[in-house]
Amino acid sequence: MSTPQSQIAAQLQSAKSLSVSHSWLDTFVASSSASLQRNIPISALTQTALFRVLSSDFRDTLITTNPSSVLPMDIFDPAVKERRLVGPIPVQVLDIEDIGSSLWSQVEAIERVERGEAIRGREIVRTVSVGEEIEDRASNNNNSGNNNAGGNEGGGNGPHRLILQDAAGTRTVGIELRRISDISIGKLPIGAKLILRSATVARGMVLLTPDCATVLGGKIESMDRAWKEGRKARLMARINEMAQEGQMTRGRGGDAMEE
Amino acid sequence: MSRILCVAEKPAIAKAVAQHLSGGSFQTVPIRGSPYVKNYLFDFNFGNPWGTCSVTMTSVIGHLTALDFESHFRGWTSCPPSSLFEAPVQEFVSNDKKAVARNIEEQAARSRALFIWTDCDREGEHIGTEVRKEARRGNARILVKRARFSNTERAHVIQAARALIELDELQANAVAARIELDLRIGAAFTRLQTLQLQNLSPILAEQPISYGSCQFPTLGFVVDRYLRVQNFKPEIFWGIKVIHTRDNIKVNFLWRRVHLFDRAAVIIMLERCLTAKKVKVVKVNQKPTSKWRPLPLTTVDLQMMGSRYLRMDSQKIMKIAEGLYTKGFISYPRTETDQFDKAIDLKKLIEKQFPDNNWGQYARDLINGKFKTPRSGRHNDRAHPPIHPVCWVAPSALPTADDRKVYEFVVRRFLACCSEDAKGQSTEIEIQYGDEFFHANGLIVLERNYLDVYVYDKWESSQQLPKFEPGEMFEPTEAKIFDGKTSPPNYLTEPELIGLMDANGIGTDATMAEHIAKIKDRQYVATRNRGSGRTSVQELIPTQLGVALVEGYDNVVAGLPDSPSLSKPFLRKEMELRMREICAGTKTRQQVVFESLNMYREVFIHTQRRINMLKDACRKYLIESAAS
Repeated sequence: MSTPQSQIAAQLQSAKSLSVSHSWLDTFVASSSASLQRNIPISALTQTALFRVLSSDFRDTLITTNPSSVLPMDIFDPAVKERRLVGPIPVQVLDIEDIGSSLWSQVEAIERVERGEAIRGREIVRTVSVGEEIEDRASNNNNSGNNNAGGNEGGGNGPHRLILQDAAGTRTVGIELRRISDISIGKLPIGAKLILRSATVARGMVLLTPDCATVLGGKIESMDRAWKEGRKARLMARINEMAQEGQMTRGRGGDAMEE
Repeated sequence: MSRILCVAEKPAIAKAVAQHLSGGSFQTVPIRGSPYVKNYLFDFNFGNPWGTCSVTMTSVIGHLTALDFESHFRGWTSCPPSSLFEAPVQEFVSNDKKAVARNIEEQAARSRALFIWTDCDREGEHIGTEVRKEARRGNARILVKRARFSNTERAHVIQAARALIELDELQANAVAARIELDLRIGAAFTRLQTLQLQNLSPILAEQPISYGSCQFPTLGFVVDRYLRVQNFKPEIFWGIKVIHTRDNIKVNFLWRRVHLFDRAAVIIMLERCLTAKKVKVVKVNQKPTSKWRPLPLTTVDLQMMGSRYLRMDSQKIMKIAEGLYTKGFISYPRTETDQFDKAIDLKKLIEKQFPDNNWGQYARDLINGKFKTPRSGRHNDRAHPPIHPVCWVAPSALPTADDRKVYEFVVRRFLACCSEDAKGQSTEIEIQYGDEFFHANGLIVLERNYLDVYVYDKWESSQQLPKFEPGEMFEPTEAKIFDGKTSPPNYLTEPELIGLMDANGIGTDATMAEHIAKIKDRQYVATRNRGSGRTSVQELIPTQLGVALVEGYDNVVAGLPDSPSLSKPFLRKEMELRMREICAGTKTRQQVVFESLNMYREVFIHTQRRINMLKDACRKYLIESAAS
């Protein structure tokens, strides 16, 4: 007769493509012995196990022995134009950013929330269209940064750039090539889990599409909290960094003119 | 013959109404003590049950009475400012209005009835109750009726005189509540901040630092935008541009993603496009399109469009519009309504424009078959129709170029409302290139229709697109990466500010221009020209004091849950909503005064307690920055 461990492992493997480690399962089953004695069905126990696995750090809970369920070590290699990951590979989200919106517009959105303007009835309309002025501007490509800066809406629609990590700790960048509805800032927490199947990697970046990336959910509470608390500071730091780089290039340009 | 006393809101309206009712023959009698107000005497048949009456038509000059604290609370240091939330107030006739009030009292004593001819809006209803009060002093049993009119065109005025209604007490109550709240809240905060700040710097001692519950959120918008411009950080973005030349036409395909802020991602996306080599045409969409004729004209729109197209500030536009209304040229210019009542004879109004050299022919074409019933907006204040011309006026009959511009705008807008939408054909071509999508759009304007008369709107054909077939594959001429930089928003302009006030529920259409004028007057904001010549616009920039006050009040409530700053629109917006509830009869004047005072009192207590925040902000902007 199969043990509860093997039953749970088989179900998580077949339903979610998660290969949970034996030691973790042993601990889990040991801590659930009370439930087992009360004849709680194994399917309910599997649900509990899944929930815990999704809230865990994959590096602690999954096995890494099967090479097809982890990322290649050299995945970052920008010299490789294209390769395919057959998988399925479980990964967890370490970072998410919206590359469709400027950093500054994201800072402004955070500040609006800080000022309490996200509360119903406390919203402030900050842009109005006066005649066609706004339309004209929106159709002007070079200036549409204005829309990002001026928009009243909080979160953009991406695409998003993710940092993903597999059970072995290997990291990679994922780009949301086609819209995946579960991926957005505020909706996809840090530590959320994804399964990659037949994903394309181009120049070291995994191209995420609804066909190759399935969001399982979950999060790692402590990491998510730290990420949220530090988000504005990180955005600001990157903006300042860019401003400095900008000044340096301008400075160099100035020197060149003098020569 | 019964004697009837008629009272208008302004001398010019009294005269215009007298002219129409009397058929042009009336006797003018000056009144003692007021150089502006006259009594006009004539006979008029008001129909049943009044019959032919002996009429005295006179006017007030705006509000007859004012509200103030009782005398021992009036001195700046007579009491702690916080006590002004409860201090007793009294209504009184100010010295310069005494002669006008006496005239009404005297005339009422001899009259059987009083007919109120004040403007048909909230303020007008309230002024009506003020007039009634004076009249009853002279004749406690005088009957009181109200004439409802929205322009001073002859037939309309005569009809209003024969269909009298009652004063709207609810609207009058809403104004009374507003007056009391403005007095108490304005005085309390003005005294508090003036007394606390005047010792900081000689600049702050020069004049009182006034506070108004509309002024401050208005200033708040200007400062908010200013800080967004100041704090803005430019960033570089990248995008993909696909160009294809066909039939000697160079077509620019725009990326559906517009641009991204991650260069590496864009490079990979482009590489995948190039790897795909060929583009597939996924959609060729040709469809009729139209540019909608404008909605009937409201006050907010007149101010916004006017300051955009006519290059005048909103206060000036309103002043000119008032003048045009008083002379009987256009309908009442204070209205929220953007739908024409079915009863109004639009064609008759259009016909009046036939004599004009510029748009007369256009008006004729409308009557000869091109007329369309105007679109209906979603607003109706149930008092006034949208702003429209009442009669044709020869340009020579208008005193200044600005008068002509405003009148022309009102006429062109009205004719445009009654015209057909502009028609065109739009083409959208969508292509897929690798994983990416791009599109090119074309427009051909087929019929200009309303655009011919509404010269303020622009809608022009784009370049003609060559033919593309759905499903067709081709190798584009060029695909490349472009980059660009985000740019800060512009400083606020007056039309935008009016739009923001409207969208955030600050002020009524009638008062917005005044609030803007006031914050300029108080030197909280200054204006500056951006650009030059025909494209120049006036921008609103806050002064150091303006920024200091907003930052100070924001800091006062920073971190306090549920305490919105005075620089934000919420408190005033709630007050405006409560005014509407009085008008709808769902709340009483006393309830609203009580509730609104409580909201502001809370902020007042915070401000008193954390007054140092306000002082610090003033020091930071007015002293330290001046020194450095």
